[in-house]
Parts: sequence; structure tokens; C-alpha cells
Amino acid sequence: MKLTIKSWTGVATWRWIANDENCGICRMSFESTCPECSLPGDDCPLVWGVCSHCFHMHCIVKWLNLQTMNKQCPMCRQSWKFNIH
Amino acid sequence: MAQNISPEHSGVDSAKQGANSCAAKHGHAVSKRLQKELMNLMMATEKGISAFPDGENIFKWIGTIAGPANTVYVGQKYRLSLEFPNSYPYAPPAVKFLTPCFHPNVDLAGCICLDILKDKWSALYDVRTILLSIQSLLGEPNNDSPLNAQAAMMWADQAEYKKYLDAFYEKHKDT
Amino acid sequence: MDIGLLWFEISRSFPILSGNVAITYSDDDSHHQRCKDIISLGLSDALSEIVFSEIQCAVRDKIVPLFWSNFPIGLGITEQTIESQFLMFHQFASAVGNLQKNVSCLEIFIERLNKLDPRQNIDSRKLHAILLKTLLGQMPTGFNEVVSAFYCVAFQIYIQMYTNPTAVLTDAELIMNKKECSGCKNEMNGCECQNLDILINKTNKALREMELLDGIAGESLTLLVQKCIKGHIKETCHGIFDRSFLRQLEIWLDETIINWLRKIFSHVCMHSQTPETCTSNIIKGFKVKLTYFLYEHLALSIIEQFFSIIIDFPDSIPAIDDLKICMEKIDMRKHFIRTLTNTLKVRVLHPGVNTMDILTGYIAAIKAIRYLDNSGIILETVTTPIRDYLRKRSDTVRRVVTGLTEEGPTDLTEELAKGESSKENAKQDTNDELNNWENWLPDSYGIDQTARAQLINVNRSADIISMVVDIYGSKELFMNEYRNLMADRLLTYLDFNADKEIRNLELLKLRFGDSLLHSCEVMLKDLTDSKRINSHISSDTKYKANKIFDISAFTISAQFWPTFNKESLELPDEIANEFEKYTKAYEAYKGNRTLNWRTVTGRVHILIEIGQRIIEMTVSPTHAIILYHFQDKDEWILEDLSQITKVPSTILRRRIEFWISHDLIKEIRPGVFKLVEDDGKKSPFEKTQVSQSLGEEDVESAMASASDQREEELQVFWSYIVGMLTNLDSLPLDRIHQMLKLFASHGGGIEFTQDELKNFLQRKVRFNLNPEIHVMYAWSYAYRSARKGHWESLARDRDRFRKRIENTSKFINPILTPEHRSFIYNTRIDKNM
Repeated sequence: MKLTIKSWTGVATWRWIANDENCGICRMSFESTCPECSLPGDDCPLVWGVCSHCFHMHCIVKWLNLQTMNKQCPMCRQSWKFNIH
Repeated sequence: MAQNISPEHSGVDSAKQGANSCAAKHGHAVSKRLQKELMNLMMATEKGISAFPDGENIFKWIGTIAGPANTVYVGQKYRLSLEFPNSYPYAPPAVKFLTPCFHPNVDLAGCICLDILKDKWSALYDVRTILLSIQSLLGEPNNDSPLNAQAAMMWADQAEYKKYLDAFYEKHKDT
Repeated sequence: MDIGLLWFEISRSFPILSGNVAITYSDDDSHHQRCKDIISLGLSDALSEIVFSEIQCAVRDKIVPLFWSNFPIGLGITEQTIESQFLMFHQFASAVGNLQKNVSCLEIFIERLNKLDPRQNIDSRKLHAILLKTLLGQMPTGFNEVVSAFYCVAFQIYIQMYTNPTAVLTDAELIMNKKECSGCKNEMNGCECQNLDILINKTNKALREMELLDGIAGESLTLLVQKCIKGHIKETCHGIFDRSFLRQLEIWLDETIINWLRKIFSHVCMHSQTPETCTSNIIKGFKVKLTYFLYEHLALSIIEQFFSIIIDFPDSIPAIDDLKICMEKIDMRKHFIRTLTNTLKVRVLHPGVNTMDILTGYIAAIKAIRYLDNSGIILETVTTPIRDYLRKRSDTVRRVVTGLTEEGPTDLTEELAKGESSKENAKQDTNDELNNWENWLPDSYGIDQTARAQLINVNRSADIISMVVDIYGSKELFMNEYRNLMADRLLTYLDFNADKEIRNLELLKLRFGDSLLHSCEVMLKDLTDSKRINSHISSDTKYKANKIFDISAFTISAQFWPTFNKESLELPDEIANEFEKYTKAYEAYKGNRTLNWRTVTGRVHILIEIGQRIIEMTVSPTHAIILYHFQDKDEWILEDLSQITKVPSTILRRRIEFWISHDLIKEIRPGVFKLVEDDGKKSPFEKTQVSQSLGEEDVESAMASASDQREEELQVFWSYIVGMLTNLDSLPLDRIHQMLKLFASHGGGIEFTQDELKNFLQRKVRFNLNPEIHVMYAWSYAYRSARKGHWESLARDRDRFRKRIENTSKFINPILTPEHRSFIYNTRIDKNM
């Protein structure tokens, strides 16, 4: 007997390649959205700092905007720089 | 502490400014985070700390911490109030002891001197970490900047301190 | 004067004195003379007394028994045949005729008495009264049947002669169609209706003159007429709901029944008032009574058939209109509710009816009953059992959702499309009372206070969809089920009609709000995104170059989907490798993101070449992988296959059944399966290409079952409750309930009643000798009732006692320890020894 697979319609869940599951700022799952958004993924992306910590983009931007003195990663208090891949 | 205005209050302010809907949306985001925190806290099996919203307003919580083991505070239980600002978690909540607490960094009104509740605040802190920090503060006071000078002075003699503390606690625990 | 002679003369005038009823002699002159004699002797009073008492005797002993002798006792035929009916008809007519003859003699005696002494003025009414009383006193059983038989025939003849439009028949018709006259049941050419009618009129006239009509015939007549009305209602209206009958029936009552009665009763009153007003008074009384009777029975008939009316709604509106009018006149609310509830129970609420049909019935019932009664009370009472029943059926929500989103027999789709307008109406609701006051209707009277209190909870303007969603008590739960259903549908039929789903979703959003349907929105977006990703990846040259088969992925945002069930499937390396390639391509396309494959879900298009056969099929991944493994090895032990595929053996066996049913695999020994390559016996038909898709039974939900999810939820609640009580001390039940609703119901769909919570908490509270958590919860009722009774003082005593023991034990316990005792013994006693 020979079985040939012609095509396969599969189901997969997508996820961010990150070292954590939830955004430390809003506590929502990375695969979910920040509190301001309604559609996950492209519309509410993650960003990484050079310190390797990541957050929902909207969350970290808001945090940085509120820091008056030095803009630090809320996780490690190193000064925040976006890690552009 | 200037930013720690009660959410209702700031809500009224922003309504006056005509930015009412924005504030409401923001409030929703904050309550979403608080709900999430509550959920995590409820599901966690952490011993010695606990908290729950006080009434229908999710911006006001009551917390409970047990005195840490191997400290003079062991066996004691303290109630705290936590009030979250509209800008939470970008700004810290206002935390106060409800049960009178004899401690170098706590004043008679229950105000706490703890850096992470002020300038060292980070959006990553949450109710759980705040309560854990306060719990550990009980056993490791910062005697350099005391709010309660008497307690700071007495700290050195732990046996004497314990005696005074127990009497203080017994006297005030139900108030 | 010779007394003897006078007595003889008197006896001639009044034969009744010698026991004779019949008139034998009549001579007015000599009678006149005798009268004078009697009066002169002053005997008139005595005589009239004697005569009248003799008359009474005659009535009692002769006339009445004679009348009754016409009707053989025990005649009582229960089933009246036409023959017996006519027999009784004639019996009655002749009996009445004879009776009248005899009575008229007595009337002559009375007339003579009156002439004898005008002062006496004995009224014939007195005689009639005596006659009636005596008749009734001696009436044999079964007589009413005779009377009703008489009037039954009379009515037939009346209908035939006075109302039947076909009474005037042509000769041809007489011969062709009707062999029998419907009036007298004789052959048409020997019709006796005319004669019988004369007889009937004569009999009625006789009864009227003797003032017996009401007394003898009244009861039977009423019964007969009522039977007629009932029969007529059944004949004309039964099973027809699209037409109003009320007016028509009223006309019929007036023209047929009332006219007939008028004919019977005309000139009844001979003594008082003018005959016309008297008759019309009687008829008026009859008419009022019979009209009510008509209303009542029409209503009963409609109520009895209300189930059919519900099913036919809105074509059955005229019937409901009739019922409405009847119910305004007669309060039949209780009867209606009882009957309909019973009918529904018998017809709908049993396992034999499928859920969709119950829902259809429920919706139709809502519409029909709401049309009948705007107060909502009947609706609430009647539909509560349906809702209770539907709630017990596991597939109800699913059916409702299907009904909402697909064209089905429930019209729910239609209702949903109406959604927008009804929502607008809801907004105006507050102004409604003011703006729409002209249309305001008061509550029907007779609603008791409890029902009125209930009414406050009933939203009068609640539309069908809310009523349907209400079956479950909350739209959150309902929406959750919608989400599950949608997830299932999306994953089962991976190429479904997205536009339709989106349209439905938009309609649902209008009604239920965005927040509850947010997940569904993301799910649909996942679908469209997946299509884009697929087309992008399949055009990726690097990916295209080395793929073995086409993969199209449905990339979903797991956070927004219901929890998947925990089924698993391990793919063979070479296939897993293909997915790895796709994943790589995806990672390249969407930076920093990767895919987790849910291998067990999906569809595989396969081509099987086996012996001479080529079979093309679309199957589930598990099915495909099972067969895939049979390529290298044509015999497998279930356990081995289970290990290599990571599919539990029970499930695996079920999946293998599919291939067994397709004659590709055989279970040669229990737990050992072998590929069937030999197809020598197969017919040529099966050698051709077969394209098959999955049967209904193979489509299984990929989602975790509701009960699994429920159990998890309850555990979450418990953590919340513990947290609540730790920080806020004791809380009454309603506060706990409220708090849980506020804080623990994220994600939607967590809905429970206070009672459920109470049960849950009561399960949690146990007696424990070493309690760690001091849970105390209180709800006002139990709290108060717990305070009552003598155990309160017992508890207080126990507490005091415990405290005393504790206090005392501080001092006593050390003394009572064996060490201390032996120490004391040693120091105090032993020393002294």
C-alpha cells in the first residue's frame, strides 16, 4: 500500500519567541493584547530592549514616556534601548 | 505622593477637562490589570500574604500580611489598605497600615517609608511584590531614615523590642 | 228540598264527585238552577271545597298516573336511535294531548264552580300549579330523555323547515341526492315534516296552556340547546384558526336557536302583562345565558386546540382574537394556563421531541401568548416549564446558536436581523410610558398580588431573542457557547463562509455588545489572516522548492479561542519535518513569532494506492497517520501504534474502526490490526476512484467540554472566596456572590446563581478537628434563624466552659503530668518513708 499526502490543512497557534509569557507591565499574555488594543499580533506587537526584556510595545512606550529622569527598563533598571533586529 | 489621587477624584477632574471618555478607557485598562493581578494572587499558594478588593471598587484593596518567621513580628497579622491611582501600574499605589504597626519605618498613621512605593517604583511591581516587600521590611527595617524614632532606637534590643511590640500589638490589633 | 236529589243533580254537574273525570252532562240552564239552590242553602263554600279536593285527588290518582303510563318505566335507552327517538316523540306528543284533554275537563269544573259562586274565583293557575307539582312528584326516571328526544326531533324539523336553505329542493335533487328528509328522516317523497310540525306546535301549545312548558321541558330544553351549541362550535370551528367565528356564531345563535325558542315560548304568558313583553323577557333571559354559554364553549374549544394555534401562528391570529374577546367576558385565565401547560408537557416536553422542535414551539408560544395577553403573566407561567426543561438539555444553547446563525425553522435569524430596531426601541423605553400613553392597556383584572410582583421582573418589551437567551439566564453563558460553537465550526470546516459568519457576528454585536463577542471577532480575523499568511508562504520560493506536500495552516490566537481538549498526535519525522519547514517560513515572515502545531486538528487530503485500488479521501490527521504507519509495517499491535502516535489506545481503536469500515484494515486478533491488501473479491465499482469525506460521526469537537471548564471555574471561585474572607472577614452570601461576579468573571461566561454558590460553599464547609482556615460566611436568613432556638445558649455555655477549662488547665495541667506527680511523690512522700 502506498499513501500519498496531497495536501494538509492544519491548525497551529502562533506565539512570540520571548523569555516570558506575560507582559510585565499590563500582565496580559504576550499573545493577547495590551489593555488599549483589541486585536493581537501585528496590531499590538512586542518590542525588545537591549537588556533582552520584552513588553507590549504600547506598554513600554507609555512607561518610558512617564519616566522623567532616566528611561529605565522596569525589569532590570538598566537604561532602556530598543533592540532593533 | 502627589500623583496618588483617588481614581474617582481624578475622574471628576478629567471630566471637567472634557477628557472624560479617555479617562474611562484608561480606568478600564487599569481595572483589567488589577483583575489579572487579583486572579494571579488568588491562584497563587503564597502563605503569609493576601489581598482582596474592599467592596465594589477594584481600585481599593485590603491586604493582609503575616509577621515573617524568625522575626519579632512572628505570629502577628497586619491589615493594610492599598489604593491604586488611575495611572497604575505606571505609578505606585498608596499603601498604608490599617492595623497600627510599631516599626521604625511606619508612622503612627500607618504611612510606610519604602523606596519601591516612591522613587524606586517600577511598573513590574504588583500587589504581591508590594506585600512581600512590606513583609520583609518588618524584619529588616531601615533604621537610617526612621518614621518612628522610638522604634528605631529600641530595635537594637530585640528582647525588649519584642516585649514592647507584643504589648503594643495586643493593645491595638483590633482597632 | 230533597237533599238526595240535589246531590244527584250536583253530581251530574260535577261528575268528579262520583269519581268521573270526563264530562258526561252539560246543561247550563239546569246547572244554573242548581247553583241557585246551593247558594240559597249556603252550601257553595262547602261544595267548592269538596269539588276542589276531588279534583286534586283526580289529578293525583288518575290524570297524572295516566300521563306517566304513556312512558313505560325503565325505558331509559341510553343510545337513542332514530327509531326510538321518533317513538318517544310520538309518545310524548300523544301523552301531552291526552293530558290536555283531561285537564281541560277539570278546567270546566273550575269554571262551573266559579259560576256557582263568583266570589270564589278559583284560578286555573292554581290547578296548573297542582298539576305541575304532582307531575314532578311522580316523574319516573328516564323521562327527561323522552322530552329531549321530542325536542331533538322538533329541532331537526325546525332546522329543516325554517332555516335549511336546501329545504326547497328541485325534484331532480330529491331523486338524485337526498333519499331522506333530514327533518323527519322519512323518504323525501313521504316527508311528514309539515304534519309533524303541526303536531309539535300543538304539543307546545298544550304545554304552554297548562303552564307546564318550563317545568316539564325547561331543563331538557336547556341541555339540548347547550348540546346543540357545543356541537355546532365543534362542527364549524374545530381545526380552523385562520378565520374569526365569533360574529358568525352569534348570528347563528340568534337566528337559529333563539328563534326556535321564541317559537316554542310564544304566548307562554296568558295571565300577566302583554304576551309579547313576557315572551321577549323569557327570550332575553335565554339569550343572555346562551350567549355566555357560547362564549365559554368557544373559548374552551380554542383553549383545547391552543397548541395547534401556537404552531400555526401567525395564521391563527383570528382564533386568538376570538379567544381574547371571550376571555374579556369570562375569566378563564386559570383554565387556560392549566390546559396549555398540560398540553405542552404532553406534546413537547419529553425525550421524543428534538430540541430544535421544542425551541420552535417555545418561540411560537411566546409570540402567540404575547398576542393573547400583553401583561406577560400567562406567558411567564406557561413558558417557565419549557425553559426549565430546555435548560436540562445539553444541546439547547447550541441549537439556539445554530438557529440564530443559520436559516432554520425557528425564525431566529429573522429575529436577529430585526435586532437593530428593537434595540432602538429599548432605548426609548423610558419615554415610552409618556409618548405611547394612548396604547397603554391596564393589567387584566384578577391578577393576584404575587403575580403582580412577578410581573415587575418580566420585561414586557423583551423580544423573542432575549426570551430565548433567557433560557440560560445569562447572555454571557450564551455568548460563550456561541464562541465554542464558532470555534468548532471554524476548525471542522476549515473552508467555511466567512462573509456569512462576519455578518452574523455583526448582528450579534448589535444586540449583545462588542465586549462579549470580542473573541469571536479575533477568531474571524485569525481566519482571514491565515489565508494571507498561507498565500505568502506558499509563494515563498525557498519553501516552495523543497516541500513534499501542500500545507495550509490555520494560524490562531490561542488566547481568544476556547480551551482545546487535550488530545494529542505524534507525527512521523518526515511529516513533522514538513511542518517544521512551514514554521521556518512563518518565522521568517513574521519576525519573532513561531508556531505550535495542533497536530490532531485539521484535514488531510490523501491518495491511497492499494492493490488495484486508488482511493482519494479527506480524513482527519489521526486517521491519515494511522494508515501512514501501515505503509512500512502491515501489522500493528494496538499498544505499539498507540505508543508511536501518542494517541491513547481507546481513541486509537475508535479511529482504526474508520479504516476497518472501509475494508482497508482488519482486526485479525484482539488488539492486532492488519492491512487488507487483497481485494480480489471487490467489485469493479469500488476499484474506481472514490472520493470521500468524513462522516458525521468523525467530526468531533476539538474543544474541551463544558463540564471540564466548569470544574476549573469552581476551583478558581474557591480561591477567590478564601482570599475574600481572609482580608474582609466574614461576608454575607449575597456579598460573596456580588464580589465573585465583579472580580472573578473575567473572560465572560462565568455565571452562577446565589443558590449554586450556597450549595458550593456548603460543600466546602466541613467539620474538621484541626481547622486551618476559619471560614465564616453568613447570609442574613440563615444567620437570623441560627440565632433562634435553645442551642444558642448551649453554644454560649460550651464556650464559657471551654474558657474555664483553658484557664484552669494552665494551673492544673502541669500538676497532673506524670513527671510532676512522680516528682512530688519522690520529694514529699518517698522522702518521708
